[in-house]
Amino acid sequence: MSYITVTDLQKTFTVRKKREKGHLTREKTLVQALKGVSFSVERGELVGYIGPNGAGKSTTVKILSGILTPDGGQAEVGGRIPWQQRKEHVRHIGVVFGQRSQLWWDVPIADSYALLKDIYQVPPQQHQKRLNELTEALDLGSLLRTPLRLLSLGQRMRAELCGSLLHSPELLFLDEPTIGLDAVSKLALRDFLQFENRQHGTTILLTTHDMEDIAALCSRVMVLGHGSKLFDGSLADLLSRYDTQRIISLRYDGDCALPPLPAGCESIREGDGYRITYAPQTVPTAQMLSLLQSAGPIRELTAQPQNIDHLIADMYREMDL
Amino acid sequence: MSRVKAYLSAFRMRWKMELQYRGAVIGGVLCQMFFGLILVALYRALYAGKPQARPIEDVVTYVWLQQAFFRMLLSSDGDLMDKIRTGSIAYDLCRPLSLYGYYYARIMAQKLLGSLLRAAPMLLFAALLPRGWGMALPSSFPALLVAALAVGLGLLCVCAIENITMAFTMRTLDSRGMQAMLNLLMMTLSGNILPLTLFPDAWQRVITLLPYAQLLDAPIRLYTGEWALWQAPRVLLTQGAWTIILLALGLMLWRKNQKRLVLQGG
Repeated sequence: MSYITVTDLQKTFTVRKKREKGHLTREKTLVQALKGVSFSVERGELVGYIGPNGAGKSTTVKILSGILTPDGGQAEVGGRIPWQQRKEHVRHIGVVFGQRSQLWWDVPIADSYALLKDIYQVPPQQHQKRLNELTEALDLGSLLRTPLRLLSLGQRMRAELCGSLLHSPELLFLDEPTIGLDAVSKLALRDFLQFENRQHGTTILLTTHDMEDIAALCSRVMVLGHGSKLFDGSLADLLSRYDTQRIISLRYDGDCALPPLPAGCESIREGDGYRITYAPQTVPTAQMLSLLQSAGPIRELTAQPQNIDHLIADMYREMDL
Repeated sequence: MSRVKAYLSAFRMRWKMELQYRGAVIGGVLCQMFFGLILVALYRALYAGKPQARPIEDVVTYVWLQQAFFRMLLSSDGDLMDKIRTGSIAYDLCRPLSLYGYYYARIMAQKLLGSLLRAAPMLLFAALLPRGWGMALPSSFPALLVAALAVGLGLLCVCAIENITMAFTMRTLDSRGMQAMLNLLMMTLSGNILPLTLFPDAWQRVITLLPYAQLLDAPIRLYTGEWALWQAPRVLLTQGAWTIILLALGLMLWRKNQKRLVLQGG
C-alpha cells in the first residue's frame, strides 16, 4: 500500500463571468479543474508536480491537504481521507504556499513559531531541538526576533519553510516555494529540501514552474494538463522525448557570412556571432561543423543542449496545453 | 487541555500584536474623550431645556462608559478580512484546530485588550471631571461586580457577532458593505449613539431584549443602579441565552462555509 493513493480524483469549480455590458445576469461556466487524476506516491519520495498555470496542480494539493472536498474519486494519505479526517490529517502534514504567508506580519517570527508549537502541541524540548536544527539549516538564527514585515523575500521564504516543518510533518507540500527568489536563496532552499528529505525521510510533493528545481531535486515528475495526468516518470525520460535539438554558438575571425544551412535549421545573429539550432538526427553534428568551417576560420564555438524551459514549452505545446 | 492551550496561544499572539499599535491607542483615547465631552454637553443642554425621567448623572455616566469601551463594539480584525479576501486563510485551514475557535480567540484578544488599553485612561479622566460632567461611582459595590460580570458576557456576545460577520464575509468576499450596515445597526441598538435609556419606554421594552443591548447597555444599567440587584439574574440570563444562540449560529455558518469553500487567487 502506497503512502499517497489518489484514484480518479475530480473537482469542478463554477466561475461566474461578468458579461461585457448590458446584462443583469452573469455567465456561469463550469471549469473542470481535475478530470479524474490517479497516482500513488511512496513514503520518502520527492516528486515534482508540474504543468502550466491552471492545470489543476494547486487544486490537487488543496484536496490532499484537507482544505477542499473533491467532487468525485478517492484519495488517501497514510490511511487517512484528508477532507473527512481534516484535523487528524493536518497534524501530520506541512504546507508551503509560495505566494501566501502563514507567519504574523507585525510580530517577530519566533513568536509565530511559539504559536505553531502550541497549535501542533509539540513538547517544549522537542520543539527547541527542532527549532535549533531548522534555524541552523535555514540560516535564520539572527532573524528570530525580527518582525516578518522587515524580512526580504528570500528570508521570508526560509522563515515560512521553517514554520511549515516545525512539527516534523511526514509529508510536505510545496506550492511554488522558489517563486521570486534570487539564485543564492534558490540554491540554499534546494539543498535544504534535499537534506530534510534524506535526514527525516519526509515525503515531498513539489509544485513549481522552475524546471531547475525539478532537475535538482526530483527523481520523479508528474505532468498535469487540463486536469488530467499526462506523464509520470523520470525527468530524463520526459526530456528525452523532446530533447531533439542542439544549439551551437560561434564567432568567426573577421566578418564572415554563414553558409546556407540545410532545411530545418535556424540561425540568428547574436552580437558579432551566430546562434544555430539544429536537430542531430537529421543533420549529423560532424556535417554541421564542417559546413560551418567551410565559411571561414572559427574563433570560438560552444555546443549545448536546449534550455530545459524550452523543452517544457515544446512539450506543453505538443500536448496542446 | 492542551487543545485549549492552542487557543490561548492565539489569544496571546493577537494581544501582543495589539500592543504594537501604541499610537492608535493614544489617538483613540483622545478621539473618544472629545466625543464624550461633546455628547455630555449635548445632553446637558437637552436637560436644561426639558429634564428627562433619568437623572442627568446617569446619562453622563452612560456616555462615558460607552465611549471608554468603544473598541469592544467597533473594531474588526483587518488581518482576518484580508486572509479571507486573498485566500491566505488556506494556511489556517491546514491547522489541527477549529477555525471558529481560533478566530474567536483572536477577536476576543483584540476587543478585550483594545478596550482595556483605552478604558483605563478614559475612565480616570472621566472620574476627575466635576459632578454632572464626569462619571459617577457605581450605585453599590455588588452592583459593580455584577456589572463587570455582565461586561464579560457582553464581550462573549460581541465576539460571536463579529465571527458571524466573518462567516458572511467568506461568502461575499468583501466585508465593507456588510460591516457598514451592521455597524450602524450595532452603534444605534447598543446605545452608543443615543443612550438606550433615553428611547421611549415602549421601544426600550423591545430594544433591551435584542442582542446588541446585551453588549454594554445591560452592564451600564446594572452599574448605575437603574436596574436593581434583584433584576440582575434576569439580565445575566438574557445575556447568557444570547451568547449561546450567537455562538451556535456562528459555528453553524462556519461549518457550512467550510464545505463549500473556494480559495481565492490560485
